[in-house]
Amino acid sequence: MALLLRTVARHSVYASHLQFGPLCRHAVPMGTTAKEEMNKFWAKNANLNRPMSPHITVYRWSVPMVMSISHRATGIGLSGGISLFAVAALVLPGNFSNYLDLIHSMSYGPAFLAFSKFALALPVSFHTFNGIRHLRWDVGKGFKIPQVYRSGYTVLTLTLLTSIALASI
Amino acid sequence: MMAALVGMGSVCRRSLLLRSLLPLRPLIGQRDREPDRPPRLPASLHTSPVSHAAGSKGASLHWTAERVLSVALLGLGPVAYMYPVPAVDYAIAAALTLHGHWGLGQVITDYVHGEAKVKAANVGLFALSAVTFAGLCYFNYNDIGICKAVALLWSK
Repeated sequence: MALLLRTVARHSVYASHLQFGPLCRHAVPMGTTAKEEMNKFWAKNANLNRPMSPHITVYRWSVPMVMSISHRATGIGLSGGISLFAVAALVLPGNFSNYLDLIHSMSYGPAFLAFSKFALALPVSFHTFNGIRHLRWDVGKGFKIPQVYRSGYTVLTLTLLTSIALASI
Repeated sequence: MMAALVGMGSVCRRSLLLRSLLPLRPLIGQRDREPDRPPRLPASLHTSPVSHAAGSKGASLHWTAERVLSVALLGLGPVAYMYPVPAVDYAIAAALTLHGHWGLGQVITDYVHGEAKVKAANVGLFALSAVTFAGLCYFNYNDIGICKAVALLWSK
């Protein structure tokens, strides 16, 4: 009698084994890629005209956060600047030294020249030093929070010193 | 309980080796299994899927290439300072444009959504990078070149 009951119970468990999703899931390869899933998410929510939850407006800004977005901002800015230079080279008449002499002849004064050099050097050095910080993360080092802050302050210090040094030569 | 967990543990290890789903015997029905085998729970394990239906290694290789290029660009800096020659000019033009192209590509991936918009943005980016590279090469060829230009700019 007990054997009969146990046999029946075992079969029912096997049956439920096949039905219960969260308890037992078969390894089926994913039908969609991550990209497809993301697109589906955006398409659905844009379609429903859902507002986006406040995120950057409410989250407390930290040094790592600001440095991260600055890395992106300097990257975009520098890239834009290079593209501008390239288009100018293609479109504008004359050559580079002419334009330099033109700017120099306008005699803006040494303070202005030093300031412009600083303004050019700052994004380049920040992006470079923070880029090295990123590469260090990419090999898996320096992820502990105190390390993140320490490397961050190092980058900021080096950036400032390098920009000042470059502006003065 | 512990025995069941041990059972689970040994099955876990086996599954990881097999990389497959291993349905387990239900706990009920202990009579007819070997008495020395520990009882197992009616659960199934889904190990990390090395799914053969998944995409290629393209994204991973791209990531590595981005980092290699960044390191190369870092190295080009001091080289450009010490040897301001045309070869370095063109190397910088290529490395800088590609680094910017890939970087802006990541920005698009992060902020632009929707298949049509992504495609349009990437086309625009490609055009921008192409023009940028063309302009830099033109400058290298017809003017003093990137290295000397920076030196000249800084000497003023």
